[in-house]
Amino acid sequence: MKLGYMKWALGVALLAAWCGVGAQGQKKLRVFAASDLQPVMPAFAYGYEKKTGIKLQVSFGSSSTLATQILNGAPADVFLAADFVFPEKVVAAGLAVEKSAVPYAVGTLVLWSRKDSPIKPLSVDLLTDARVTRVAVADEFHAPYGRAAYAAMRWLKIEEKVKPKLVKAENVSQAAQFVESGNAQMGFVSLTTAMSAHMKDVGTYATVPAIYPKIKQCAVVMVKSPNVEEGKRFLEWMLTPEVQGHLAEFGLTSVR
Amino acid sequence: MEREALLLTLRLAAMTTVVLVALAVPLAWWIASGRGWGRAAVQALVALPLVLPPTVIGFYLLVGLGPLTGVGRAIAGVLGHPLAFSFAGLLVGSVIYSLPFAVQPLVAGFRGVEREYGEAAAGIGMTPAATFLRVVLPMARGSLAAAAVLTFTHTVGEFGVVLMVGGNIPGVTRTMALVLFDQVQDFDYAAANRTAGVLVLVAMVGLLGLYGRWMRRGFDGG
Repeated sequence: MKLGYMKWALGVALLAAWCGVGAQGQKKLRVFAASDLQPVMPAFAYGYEKKTGIKLQVSFGSSSTLATQILNGAPADVFLAADFVFPEKVVAAGLAVEKSAVPYAVGTLVLWSRKDSPIKPLSVDLLTDARVTRVAVADEFHAPYGRAAYAAMRWLKIEEKVKPKLVKAENVSQAAQFVESGNAQMGFVSLTTAMSAHMKDVGTYATVPAIYPKIKQCAVVMVKSPNVEEGKRFLEWMLTPEVQGHLAEFGLTSVR
Repeated sequence: MEREALLLTLRLAAMTTVVLVALAVPLAWWIASGRGWGRAAVQALVALPLVLPPTVIGFYLLVGLGPLTGVGRAIAGVLGHPLAFSFAGLLVGSVIYSLPFAVQPLVAGFRGVEREYGEAAAGIGMTPAATFLRVVLPMARGSLAAAAVLTFTHTVGEFGVVLMVGGNIPGVTRTMALVLFDQVQDFDYAAANRTAGVLVLVAMVGLLGLYGRWMRRGFDGG
């Protein structure tokens, strides 16, 4: 009987030790990143870890989702948004180190479709084509690329015509997924998504005329973070010529 | 008030309940009327949506039944459009998602009906179908009510599947759960409070109806 208890106690102790392992070890920085950065962050994380030994722990979501989470106490160290508005909300709430959100890149909106789509050639003119029945777009109010897409459609005066075809995604990655899986024939995505290896493989993209407000992607460092200094240094690194010079390879434009 | 979304949600829940009860009654009767590995396997399959994340169902609906697969093309041929981003797609998702909530109370109810009643009915010359409809089903009507209420309220509460395959189209796939999600994202907490309140109310009324019934009659399945 006593031995039975001992076994249980040992088991629980081992389990507790195993749970504790995750909390130990390497220095980490928690980065909340907008969905358009999903194809980009692995390369950044690799480069940053190689340079500093600090591991980036990245969570993706629409800029709005991430801002909501941060305003409600989510444990982020750095917030890389896809626009100016959402990190400014964090600034306004007094949660950011900076007095104003810091631009780190400029995004580009594109139209994307699968290569095996019979409706060609891809361009914004196809949006009003009768053969196109489903167009994926990120949410206008939660996702900066969605806001840009609606602005572009409004400027082209095709919003009313395209509206019945629109299927709304939570973020730009999901919009891409809707088209990639064949459920929508084309969709508005970020150039970063369109330039990722897999998406390049199965699809093509067409640029949307630059008639939408500039997608100025901004960042803030969280003032309550236990890693404020590391967060600031990471953001400085993002702005170095070394990083800015590589942005174009990922579908982003430098802010320098 | 998000009237359109509320009506859509109630319509989806009502249609899911009708379809599921029609499917679940014969299925539960078959499961309850014997033992063996076949029945155990079917019961395990039915219980899967209880333990799987809704994202699994969303993924299969979006990709497995999407236009890139043979099955998906066949479905699109019949419906005239892919399952995703349509009311029909949400209905299919909800039926799968709420399946255990309909089947499990019915299996328990049917198993609770004493075998002697069936034998007595057969003794006076009733066919098995008549026995089921006129003896077993009325005796298990409490379970039938439980299955219907749980299916309805659980479908009203569906979120993950709708978020993945719905496309958030007003009047077609934009349910109350999505409206609430959007309102929270938009920092409109006053509106979010109203929407969440309506959802709590719907669930509470349904569940109170269910447990109130048990209070009045005792937990006897009748």
